[in-house]
Amino acid sequence: MSLTRRELLIAGGLTAAGTVIAPSVARAQQPKRGGTMSLRLWDPPHFDLHAAGGLSYKLHILMTFTHSRLVRHKVGPSVVPGTFSIEPDLAESWTQPNETTYVFKLRRGVRWHAKAPANGRELTSDDVVYTYNRFINTKGHANAHMLKSVDKVEAVDKYTVRFTLKEPYAWFLETLASPMVVAIVNKEASEKYGDLKKWESFIGTGPWMLDSFRPNQGLTLVRNPNYFVQGLPYIDKVEIIVDEDNASRTASFLAGKFDLGWENPGTINRTDWVQIKDNALRRRPGLKTAEFPANVMSHISMRTDQKPFNDVRVRRAISHAIDRQGIIDAVAEGVGVTNPAVPAALKDWSIPISQLGEGAKYYKHDPAEAKKLLAAAGYANGFPGTVCFTTYGSTVLIDSMQLVLKNLKDVGIDAKLEQKEYGAYITSCFYGKFDAMTYGPQTPFVEPDSFLFGQYYPGEPRNQSHINDPVVADMLVRQRRTFDLAKRKEIIFEIQRYLAQQQYYVTTNSGVYVAVWDGALQNYGPNVGYDYGGRLMAAWLNR
Amino acid sequence: MLRRYLAKRLVVAIPSLLIASLIVFTLPRLIPGDVVAMMLEEKAYAKDLEELRAKLGLNRPIYVQYFEWLGRAVQGDLGESLWTRRPVLEEIGQRLPITLELALLSLVVAIVIAVPVGVIAAARQDTAQDYIFRSTAILGLSVPGFWLATLVIVLPAIWWGWRPLTGYVEISKDVVGHILQMLLPAAILGVAFAAAMMRLTRGMLLEVLRQDYVRTAWSKGLRERVIILKHGLRNAIIPVITYIGTQLPQVIGGTVIIETIFGLPGMSRFLFDAINQRDYPVIQGVNLVVVSFIVLVNLVVDALYAVLDPRIRY
Amino acid sequence: MAGDAVARVETAVGSTRSAPRPERSRGAAFGRFLWLFARRKPIGAFSGAVVIAMLLMSVFAEQIAPYDYDEAVRGARMKPPSAAHWLGTDNLSRDIWSRIVYGARVSITVGFATIFLGTAAATALGVTSGYFGGKYDLVVQRIVDAWMSFPYLVIILSVMAVLGPGLLNVILALSIIVAATGSRVIRGATIAIAQNQYVEAARAMGCGHARIVFRHIIPNVTATIIILATIGLGGIILAESALSFLGFGVPPPYPSWGSMLSGSGRTYMYRAPWMAVWPGVAISLAVFAFNMLGDALRDVLDPRLRGA
Repeated sequence: MSLTRRELLIAGGLTAAGTVIAPSVARAQQPKRGGTMSLRLWDPPHFDLHAAGGLSYKLHILMTFTHSRLVRHKVGPSVVPGTFSIEPDLAESWTQPNETTYVFKLRRGVRWHAKAPANGRELTSDDVVYTYNRFINTKGHANAHMLKSVDKVEAVDKYTVRFTLKEPYAWFLETLASPMVVAIVNKEASEKYGDLKKWESFIGTGPWMLDSFRPNQGLTLVRNPNYFVQGLPYIDKVEIIVDEDNASRTASFLAGKFDLGWENPGTINRTDWVQIKDNALRRRPGLKTAEFPANVMSHISMRTDQKPFNDVRVRRAISHAIDRQGIIDAVAEGVGVTNPAVPAALKDWSIPISQLGEGAKYYKHDPAEAKKLLAAAGYANGFPGTVCFTTYGSTVLIDSMQLVLKNLKDVGIDAKLEQKEYGAYITSCFYGKFDAMTYGPQTPFVEPDSFLFGQYYPGEPRNQSHINDPVVADMLVRQRRTFDLAKRKEIIFEIQRYLAQQQYYVTTNSGVYVAVWDGALQNYGPNVGYDYGGRLMAAWLNR
Repeated sequence: MLRRYLAKRLVVAIPSLLIASLIVFTLPRLIPGDVVAMMLEEKAYAKDLEELRAKLGLNRPIYVQYFEWLGRAVQGDLGESLWTRRPVLEEIGQRLPITLELALLSLVVAIVIAVPVGVIAAARQDTAQDYIFRSTAILGLSVPGFWLATLVIVLPAIWWGWRPLTGYVEISKDVVGHILQMLLPAAILGVAFAAAMMRLTRGMLLEVLRQDYVRTAWSKGLRERVIILKHGLRNAIIPVITYIGTQLPQVIGGTVIIETIFGLPGMSRFLFDAINQRDYPVIQGVNLVVVSFIVLVNLVVDALYAVLDPRIRY
Repeated sequence: MAGDAVARVETAVGSTRSAPRPERSRGAAFGRFLWLFARRKPIGAFSGAVVIAMLLMSVFAEQIAPYDYDEAVRGARMKPPSAAHWLGTDNLSRDIWSRIVYGARVSITVGFATIFLGTAAATALGVTSGYFGGKYDLVVQRIVDAWMSFPYLVIILSVMAVLGPGLLNVILALSIIVAATGSRVIRGATIAIAQNQYVEAARAMGCGHARIVFRHIIPNVTATIIILATIGLGGIILAESALSFLGFGVPPPYPSWGSMLSGSGRTYMYRAPWMAVWPGVAISLAVFAFNMLGDALRDVLDPRLRGA
């Protein structure tokens, strides 16, 4: 799981006063079958989740329409954005006989799409085993390590699958529910085409089927008449449009296209929204909106394994130097949220700043204090350092970066910009190969373990700051072994308190999403994350 | 004589093509960022990297890869995309017509604007008309294309809630819609070329109009229009045709911005995306096709020139 | 040199003075040249004035601009043009007029550096290739042909991808185009001049190659170079803005007109159109001026190049 171009979603925001859902019609209505929905999404690099290059949100989003997983997240207007609870998908129930064993009972009568070569045959536990083996064994599958805690997967009988883990992993179900991970793929298609890269081989068990793919232009999805949930989906067709230019997208939206906001996850960038809001509401009356914090956060990574960043006072000074609210004022219309180590968007797991204790003070903008700390660490005249960076095609990010550089210069740190092209950046700085600092956004996960473990555990590829801290490493492993939700949450809070004092990464504030959807779309509840298909599955169009 | 001339030109073109193929092959590989690392995104295990590299054939020595690629290319096999594994030639075949059509349409627009304006400007040299026409034409090429395109798409949407057709429409499905859709981007591209072409037309016509045979025509009392159009333009047009010939390839390679803004799945965009993704076979394939095309066009232009002007065949 | 030019302009004007011209100082001759030029080619003169204004802006930016290019003015975020901020402010509260002035420096720097580098390379290649001929000429021409069979944008993008973003890299990438196209024209001009009889005479007298090249060939090629350079500058400014749009331009925080227009200018154009309008006007005006000036110079200095 990692970040690719334009996975960046920095939007402005409101005060973190919770969400505001403004329905236009409050009375319950009978769902209507039919209709075509128009969406803006992206060209996937190819259609094989497990092959090199398949690690892209562009593909993951598509798969939520056409493929199913063992379990999924609850969706709908009743779900508070930023919260996630597990629900059955292909597995109708599951048990956990001991800490390292999970037994899933699959639904009966689940059929693959009625497309050759799957031809609507029934899904069995063999398909799950097949998918798992393919997941682990495909060469070049960069996500393979996500299931490295799994020892083996067995088909106990036609509808029962047993997973045996090597060690207890409390987030296992979350991993299975993630759209980025274990979508169940079709064996016949993979064998017929040699791999699953071609769009013709894109066969799943999900609510829609891929009808056509026109590179650089769009895709068409049609309703799966044999979907295992009776009556769903309501929407007959989903027309996906590819549009790589923001001016063009804005114009399209004003002209009535795109039933959801065109940025991930169904939002419109606040800077754009503020400008077109009146026009949009005039042309598309009934347009609905909701606001909730974004789970994309940017941070400054530092070489904490060498001078001067190995001194915690220097890191704290940098945190004091950054005017987080000033950045939000300038690039996000003043609306944003402060992020501890787990982004504020993850409501269930992010610690409120007020509960951070000792470490809370380092989030305060205080250049004088920063200079004092630097002097105490022996850098009274500051020090030079390069900041590696790529633009991700986002003017908001470019503007934020300029402000960060200025903030650093104001406390005496002579920060020089080292801007790289995206490909060069992603194969060097993003994975820790930089000289002093790097600044940029991180992959938006929907649970804290990926944020924390991946970034703070020694040796992990996304440990950009080269952190090697046994205290935090121990806590990270402990929370993975704690099944009790309340106790796990306490450990995660403890981790965030500790990290606030350490400031291994200096996080900047995240914006607040403006989720927008057409007035005709009913029973839709926006959320962070890539599960577009899930959120639309039970939605219907009133037009 | 013509055949020998053309044969000579062809022979001269081959070394250039070879050198170009070398450039086409090595330049993308100089771009920092290992394509295999990019694909894996998270550098999992060193073993995985090497395995993927081997699978893609990228671990062999450079010259081996080059000759193998070149050998297959002359047989018409341009390999497969590193990312999508689709044959490069097939992809190019789908996109080249769009870019070509855009290029040709824009040149038509340019000619339609440039030639009449150039003729009038030359006929009325140094009068107010001349200045106005010239200034307007230059203004057309002074405004950045992406800015014009942005305004054209955004302003109607704000004012009237209307926007030009999105989503490329094939000509077989909807002729009118297709032409309408291509017209706007072609016009924006064409305006820039119109300026240069107009200048050229005007300049060439002025040159020709000073020639002796034209003065003879004046003294014979022929009407102005006859002199300018029949005697002047016919001779002045040769360099203009040459110019068109040299510009056509440039348009083909330079349409990436317009294609992005108007959502046209053309070849320029294909190449640009490939460069960003280090998709070497695609970069090489597209470049080779474009380069060959340019060489071909140059040959045709040379031939045309030779046909029209016997002096240069020798 | 100026004397030649004056003579040519006067011929163009149709001066009918029959008396021999008295000797004038160089300065006065140049002044007369300018005056006649302005009378004869008003648009060219106007463009020349614009160019000079740009040059002044880029050299004296610190004196001309009321604010620093990176200075965030408190309480002045996205304000429309006013007395305090002639062209308004941007989303980071910076004065746009100041940024335009500093942006001139970037455009001029990129433009002139590219022309200088590219033309130097083009002259070296073109003159030696045209003068010496033979196998050397063949090889050089094949290589130049090879580079020129690529569309310009493809070369620029590929080179920029290899080098990465940066002011110097933009200059290098654009120079390659200038060098290749320019070398062809200069080579042609060199060949034409080298066939002149006085060059043959010089050779017969035993003059060394270097002397011939520098004394006879280059001065006569200079007019060509100047005209190509002036018009080329316009193209380079446009190319820089296109590169900014594609993400390969001059990195911030230094303002370039191209990045102002294609970046935050486009993002905020509904709400603060002045953020995009002024850089757009600046670019268009600069390109227009360079082109018209080049045209006028060509008409005056070397009408043979009308077809170039």
